[in-house]
Amino acid sequence: MVVVFVLIGVFCCGSAQAQGGGGELLGRVVKEGAKKDAVSLSGLNVSGQNGQLFLTTLKRNLELSGWFQIAGAGAGGGITVNGSAADTGGGVQSNCRVTWGGGQSFTWARASQGTAEVRRQAQELVDEMVRRIRNETGIATSRITFVNRMGSNHAELYVCDADGQGMMQITQDKVALVGPRWAPNKKDILYTSFTKGYPTVLRHTVGGARKTVANFKGLNTGGAVSPDGTRVALILSFEGNPELYVLDYATARVIRMTNTPHGVEASPCWSPDGRSIVYVSDTSRSPQLYLLDVASRQSKRLTYTGSENVNPDWSAKGEIAYATRRGGGYQIAVMDPAKGDASARILTGAPDRSEHPSWAPDSRHLVCSDGSTLYILDTLGDPAVRLINVAGSWISPDWSK
Amino acid sequence: MDMRFAVVANVALACVLLGLSTGCSKNKKSDGEYVIPTGAVDIENPFGDGMGLDGIPVGAIGGRFEDMCDRVTDITFAPIYFAFDSYALAPQEIAKIEQVARHLQSNSRHVLVIEGHCDIRGSNEYNLALGENRALAVRTHLVHLGVGPERIQTRSFGSEKPAVAGTGEAVWRLNRRGEFALYQK
Repeated sequence: MVVVFVLIGVFCCGSAQAQGGGGELLGRVVKEGAKKDAVSLSGLNVSGQNGQLFLTTLKRNLELSGWFQIAGAGAGGGITVNGSAADTGGGVQSNCRVTWGGGQSFTWARASQGTAEVRRQAQELVDEMVRRIRNETGIATSRITFVNRMGSNHAELYVCDADGQGMMQITQDKVALVGPRWAPNKKDILYTSFTKGYPTVLRHTVGGARKTVANFKGLNTGGAVSPDGTRVALILSFEGNPELYVLDYATARVIRMTNTPHGVEASPCWSPDGRSIVYVSDTSRSPQLYLLDVASRQSKRLTYTGSENVNPDWSAKGEIAYATRRGGGYQIAVMDPAKGDASARILTGAPDRSEHPSWAPDSRHLVCSDGSTLYILDTLGDPAVRLINVAGSWISPDWSK
Repeated sequence: MDMRFAVVANVALACVLLGLSTGCSKNKKSDGEYVIPTGAVDIENPFGDGMGLDGIPVGAIGGRFEDMCDRVTDITFAPIYFAFDSYALAPQEIAKIEQVARHLQSNSRHVLVIEGHCDIRGSNEYNLALGENRALAVRTHLVHLGVGPERIQTRSFGSEKPAVAGTGEAVWRLNRRGEFALYQK
């Protein structure tokens, strides 16, 4: 509870600062809402192309972390990174010491080969700094999966790093694809695919094979793996109309969790403790969020404000982000499920028509789509950052966590 | 395996085999637990590559007309249109469904897949479920008109396969639809 109050307090201050600061929204990283510690990189000597790539990646990910800003040339920073990042011909060798308040420090030494690994090494250093200095979970080594809607019955799956780099197309199916979700192993992505001409749920290991999770008669969608990896939430209609089910690998059972003959369910998302699922149902005649207690199979309605409330995503720290329709388009809202949507706050500074929020592993940032591109939002008030600069219909982002 | 679950699975099996799955579900569903009748369950690969949840509950998987039958493309039917966020059948759409029913009744080798669609607005994940309910609403009416339920399957494309590109109600109303795809056994 205390944590939530603190967050709200900081968020309010952050918003006020953001308005005063008037940060630039698009293109480059401008993060000036929440308070940050200055990091001086002037003592980091880099050499060659890979050294530069290491430095560029380090800077961008330090800024995107939301906890740091890069100190200008000559200016001192409360945090210093001293040492070297040397091009080894095809890779980089980094040796540095990170020092901060009160003489605390840690050393860092890594060698890596290949462009992706050079970037990865810098991202790992950023996450280490976030963990050691701020005692928070970093986001630099996490990844985002998303969909490019390319035409009628044609969408493809993509993955990129949390800094928007390293974008890869994962599927080449030339059919519709809906609702990708990372499995907690951060290697597999579940999604609804029309490769067979009708919807089935597939589990796709990035860079590897894919398997069918659900192929019942009727609708198969909504695949979401539980935090412990032993269960999958699914939306299936084999009994007559779409309902929420849990496939439990441990007991080899498929268990129906809802009974709404006149409604449909969608978008299940597990709570961090795996005991609850938040999902969309239209039993009230418009899509709203409901909360399921998995053990008792009892659901209760969570949202009452807004003509539609969809796309729920549960953070590791316990807050639910969702898209709420109030007036014309959707906005991104965040709520404490224990308090319901009377406590929800709308994230300001997000683009118009933002939808499909997904939490970063730090439970602070969110990625969302405005229907054409993806943005990173900050619940502590930093301005939105555009993630993808390539033309397309980039939708349905899901952040690994 | 626990007998209780075996019984439950059999009740569901009976519903499906008798073609009453929709009827059963509307009134009284089983308690909704199904045993996966495979031996060792490997979480990483529980049912074998590409096999899905074969066997549970029997009758609920496999047997898709798309996989088993030939598509009949020289006979087409007018789509059924829906209001926004609704799967209710409008009175003016009923005659089109009656025409499909008459065709199925006089062509016993033909079976039907009803394809549910939504307009582009709103959550596409929710639209996928809404499209399924639209297809099921048409299916229920065909069953009411006397077509055997085992002859009608559904698939939803949600808002992923619009008939007409663009925005505005003139476009959206043509995309909120149920389409009929005939297959021949």
